[in-house]
Amino acid sequence: MQTLRSLALPLLVAAVYACIALVVTNSYYQLMLTLVLVWASFGLGWNILSGYTGLVSFGHAAFFGLGAYTTALGQLYFDLTPWLLIPAAAGVGGVAGLLVGLPTFRLRGHYFALAMLAYPLALLYVFEWLGYQELTLPIKREAPFTYMQFTDPRFYTLVALVMLLAIVAITRAVERSRFGMALLAIKQNEAAAEAAGIDTLNWKLRSIALSGAITGAVGAFYAVVLLVVTPSSVFGMLVSAQALTVSMFGGVGTVWGSLIGAAVLIPVSEILHAQLGARIPGIQGVVFGIAIVAVIIAAPEGVYWKVRDRLRRAGPAAAPTPAAPARVDLAAPSTPARAQRPDAWRTGKVLLSVKDLSISFGGLKAVQDVTFDIYEGMILGIIGPNGAGKTTLFNLLNGFLCPDAGEVLFDGRNMVGSKPHVLCQAGVGRTFQIMRPFPRMSVRDNVRVGAYVRAQSEEEARRLADDAVDRVGLSAVADKVAAELTTKELRLMELGRALAGKPRLLLLDETLAGLGHGEADEVVAVVQRLAREGVTIAIIEHTMQSMVRLVDRFLVLNHGAVLADGEPEAVTRNPQVIEAYLGKKWVAHADA
Amino acid sequence: MTDKTFALTRRALVGGAAMGLATAAHAQGPANVKVGLIVPLSGLYARPGAVMRMGAEMGIADVNAAGGVKALGGAKLQLVALDCGDTVEKAKNAAQRMVAQETDLVAATGSYLSSFTLAVSEVTERAGLPLLTLSYSDLLTERGFRHIFQTSATAAAQSELGLPELMKLAEAASGKRPKTVAIAMDNTGTSIATAKALKEKLFPQLGLQLVMDEVWTPPLTDATAFIQKVRSTRPDLFLFMPNAISDAKLGLEKLNEFGLGQGRIPTISFSITIAEPDMLQSVSPDVVQGIMTIVANWGVKGQEKLLADLKAKYKEPWMTQNVVSTYGDMWIVKEALEKAGKADRAAVSEALHTLDAGPAKYFPGGVLKFDDKGRRIGAGVVVVQWQNGVPATVYPNDLAVATPFWPKHA
Repeated sequence: MQTLRSLALPLLVAAVYACIALVVTNSYYQLMLTLVLVWASFGLGWNILSGYTGLVSFGHAAFFGLGAYTTALGQLYFDLTPWLLIPAAAGVGGVAGLLVGLPTFRLRGHYFALAMLAYPLALLYVFEWLGYQELTLPIKREAPFTYMQFTDPRFYTLVALVMLLAIVAITRAVERSRFGMALLAIKQNEAAAEAAGIDTLNWKLRSIALSGAITGAVGAFYAVVLLVVTPSSVFGMLVSAQALTVSMFGGVGTVWGSLIGAAVLIPVSEILHAQLGARIPGIQGVVFGIAIVAVIIAAPEGVYWKVRDRLRRAGPAAAPTPAAPARVDLAAPSTPARAQRPDAWRTGKVLLSVKDLSISFGGLKAVQDVTFDIYEGMILGIIGPNGAGKTTLFNLLNGFLCPDAGEVLFDGRNMVGSKPHVLCQAGVGRTFQIMRPFPRMSVRDNVRVGAYVRAQSEEEARRLADDAVDRVGLSAVADKVAAELTTKELRLMELGRALAGKPRLLLLDETLAGLGHGEADEVVAVVQRLAREGVTIAIIEHTMQSMVRLVDRFLVLNHGAVLADGEPEAVTRNPQVIEAYLGKKWVAHADA
Repeated sequence: MTDKTFALTRRALVGGAAMGLATAAHAQGPANVKVGLIVPLSGLYARPGAVMRMGAEMGIADVNAAGGVKALGGAKLQLVALDCGDTVEKAKNAAQRMVAQETDLVAATGSYLSSFTLAVSEVTERAGLPLLTLSYSDLLTERGFRHIFQTSATAAAQSELGLPELMKLAEAASGKRPKTVAIAMDNTGTSIATAKALKEKLFPQLGLQLVMDEVWTPPLTDATAFIQKVRSTRPDLFLFMPNAISDAKLGLEKLNEFGLGQGRIPTISFSITIAEPDMLQSVSPDVVQGIMTIVANWGVKGQEKLLADLKAKYKEPWMTQNVVSTYGDMWIVKEALEKAGKADRAAVSEALHTLDAGPAKYFPGGVLKFDDKGRRIGAGVVVVQWQNGVPATVYPNDLAVATPFWPKHA
């Protein structure tokens, strides 16, 4: 339903466009109308991968070219019609996407972008070597419609328009599903996404396959329009660049971006070419380049976002919602928490058992022979001075790092070597010392990302998210975007995201860091309540005070090894612990 | 929209005015007849495109100076130049613009690179506009098109025509028939098509043994490897086929460095690249001395006045295929108009099909007559040899401006 509603505007624009196309009889203007749609579609195909995951691809010409050659070779050698070959090209593009994605997703950032560059360049030479320097689609005078060789150029525009609308609908559907949420989460913070239970590689592969399929189909149609296919015209650098230019000009990560980009750039470039090309050859490129640079400087995120931000600021909707203080059920922080809690964990079973866990980074033994158990229902405090290996331990527990030796048994199963999202599915949730919110998403959506690991449907995900938002006391700010939150709210939101996946064990990494005294109490209250509700918690902190009344048991680390493991009272009096924290001379004071 | 209004205004001013006047007032002389030139005027191939434009402008000027189209009451030809850019898409766009907005064109010529000509002709064919071309890809005239006319011998034909002549030349000059041949070429479409014809057909026919076969992807970065191989295999003929000036320069300099230049190993090319004036900007005349190339057209004996005009007007040192063929195309259009008797593209296309204007003055070999496919009947080749800093036509004999020399190698 929502997807349908979101298509209302595109449909309206398409209807207007179709009317214009029907009126234009000049075949050259009609060709421009067709090409605008082709490049907009190409930009959208690129956007599915690069716009939503943030993994910039310089190599989409690979899929485009494969699509184009599928049509050309299919018609040349098997006399197939483009009506069949365009879907076939989508298949080829999708498979190519998977084949490209599998090895290339090992890389990130600039390395990914550069590696993508290699595929079309390699294919260009392969197709030259195969002897396909110049292919033409055979002319079909008898059955022009069957072979998409319309005598009336308006048909090309209409076919392209239908194709573009289909792609817009696909994009909208993706945007609104867990697919889109997963991609956005990956874009904003891949590690957090993985920790929130998103199988990042899997979603990225789906995204590149879909992106490749769309691009392949567009390339196939491009071959039908141009009728001539050469390696450089479909695998060339400029082709890949075209996708980036139209999307970045118009705005990345939105359907409108590529549409605006193509609708402006393609005609402008052609008009410049037509008007100046024969008189001052080459000047068109200069003017075009300068114009793009100027627009990018004025609107670095693209025209669409610039205009949208303008409108938002001007509109009444921009009035900030009154920042209602987070309503938190403060569980009387003055009284010792443990007194209120039954020591049920003492009779419970072991939820997480860590045995002889070790990891070294070169010569540094970050974690060595660490052994401990977490019982169901307990709050374990992991403390230690800076650099003691606390966060490294967490990274080992939730799968970011793979230990050199040792075992991590979760509910009796050895989880060593499992990826973070697998551990998350098994019931291990975590938050980060350095907060990893998805800044452009609302609080509710941030939390919803964490819910998909449990949710079977969109509906359930929403429900789980709302429930988690409520449990951490953020209902009042649920619709704010994460970028506008205070540190405390962000901490709570991260907690909520971890909670939405209904974890059995929650790993909290310095959740109290950077909070003022009152704020810390609020967060502590939330954690206590969660524990009462039956969530097992391991919490890292390097200050002991706030922890003493929170936890059931302490694990003290120093230089990567366990220094002490026991009840809070015993641990705080342990001379080795005092020495590690305060230095030798304080041991005497403590004894006194 | 601005584009449309602009284009309309321009047409109203130029074409519209001319046409309007023509119908209204016969007394003021016949309307100009427009001929299209659709070539790369910007980008990577701007230079050859510019040279083709020179040829077209000179052709138009000479046709008009000779009284214009007599069948149309001495109507003058008028050139409409369009930039087909440096990509297939731009070429297609330019062609579409040409047929949509220059509706009164009677014929066109273009577009240098065969990929561009392919794209352009897909458009002109559907619009029924006759297109003359100097591109020599066989594919151009194998698609069953009605409105394309290829003035050059096709790629496959060129080697078949040229190589046997070279063999004769070698035999006459050195006293022995070449037996071994080496190939070094780039992997562009033209080179690959030529090499295929050579290897599959010509070498066995001529009894040549292929002793080396090297391919590079432009741009060539180092020619040492294959030149070394040339030195060790010592072929009687070395077929060196670059399509970029820089590749040609690298290969030839290395050849000289190894003491194989100046024709000590007879070196033959199959494109005009190696004989372009630009070559002399990067190498000295003695590096290219003796190099030969087999091309579809060149400045030949009897075109001295044309050459003088070219030198005077455009400061070009000699006439390449791009100048001569495009110049000749204007005369072909003129002939077709005389035959058609009206300035109409369909009539001109029909006239080109039935044209039989005797020996071709500006094209080597054959006659001004096209076969069913649109290929010029009897289209021949020219062999050009670098002699003292100028690529001079040395074959065929009746067109030659110099005598070829064949090095007697040790």
